[in-house]
Amino acid sequence: MTHETLALHGTGHKDTNPVLGWWSGGVAIGIVLVLAVALFQPIGVSTQYVVLDGVLLHNVLPDVASKSPYLAKATQGWTLATFEFFFVLGIPLGALMAAMATARFTTRVVPTEWNKRFGSNPGNRLVWSFVGGFLLLFGARFGGGCTSGHMISGVSQLAVSSLVFSSALFASAIVTARWMYGDWGK
Amino acid sequence: MMDLIAGLALGALFGAALQLSGASSHTKITQALRLKDLTIIKLIVVAIGVGLIGVHLLDLSGWAHMKVKDLYLPGIVVAGLIFGVGFAVTGYCPGTALVAAAEGKPDAWVTVLGGMFGALVFAFMFPDLETFLFSFGEYGPVTIHGLLGIQGAILAIPLGGFCLWLAARLPGSGGAQ
Repeated sequence: MTHETLALHGTGHKDTNPVLGWWSGGVAIGIVLVLAVALFQPIGVSTQYVVLDGVLLHNVLPDVASKSPYLAKATQGWTLATFEFFFVLGIPLGALMAAMATARFTTRVVPTEWNKRFGSNPGNRLVWSFVGGFLLLFGARFGGGCTSGHMISGVSQLAVSSLVFSSALFASAIVTARWMYGDWGK
Repeated sequence: MMDLIAGLALGALFGAALQLSGASSHTKITQALRLKDLTIIKLIVVAIGVGLIGVHLLDLSGWAHMKVKDLYLPGIVVAGLIFGVGFAVTGYCPGTALVAAAEGKPDAWVTVLGGMFGALVFAFMFPDLETFLFSFGEYGPVTIHGLLGIQGAILAIPLGGFCLWLAARLPGSGGAQ
């Protein structure tokens, strides 16, 4: 029991502990957006999932890839050598350096809050992570953007589509999270 | 070549900021969505506040490369609702899943794989969905200031200031400030 409590504490600490406050973090993210808009275009992430899909598929099954007008349009010239893709490539790179520099690298499978509600079975968490990831990108592509493209870039440009998307996103995420983690009636 | 290096550097700055602010933490995200710890909401609101002011100041100077997404109803609402469920279930978004994966979290690796699969399925369903949902309620890349017929900065700068004020006023977590 002590062992388990300790392990839980360890992951919990690593999982939740920000080292940069919301003020500095928010300003840094805002500056990234402003620099990107000054140099190239607003930031976005979810399109690059399609681009990577397209380029990988085009390498293995070029005929199948070319049959999708959506893939062909997103992945112009079937190349990854673009500002947009390298921006997305930079995200895990910067994150890895930040996690290393602050000794917050962790290989925990089951997050603390998930464990509290659904138990410590890693298979369960992984299956739902896949399903959730599917919904995230299906929704993001359907809506033409994600938290970066719609919420940060889009709302900053006062785009109506981004305000509508962000409102629907938060409404649905708040209801789902409160239901999932059993907050109703508390 | 320069644009690739600039992209990588800006992306790395973005990834590092998200990581250090706790945006890749399932716990922080789900607690924000359950309205128990608003740190991540404050983070997003500050980023939007800085973005509103910065982007529209750039626009006034003529240096901004704006790119406004099309509005199509009801498609964009349905899309947001689907995304929201995925956000609550995984505790990640497409960007922070990459951050969490780089931090070593295996559930985030699986989220990225699920995301690649979801994006692929969407790509092949697109021709059918397009005729179904995008054929009506299509308004193009509309903005609020465009609808009002005013300069964006007139609206964006006070609104940006309001975001920064709001972020400061929202209750904190008692954690890292």
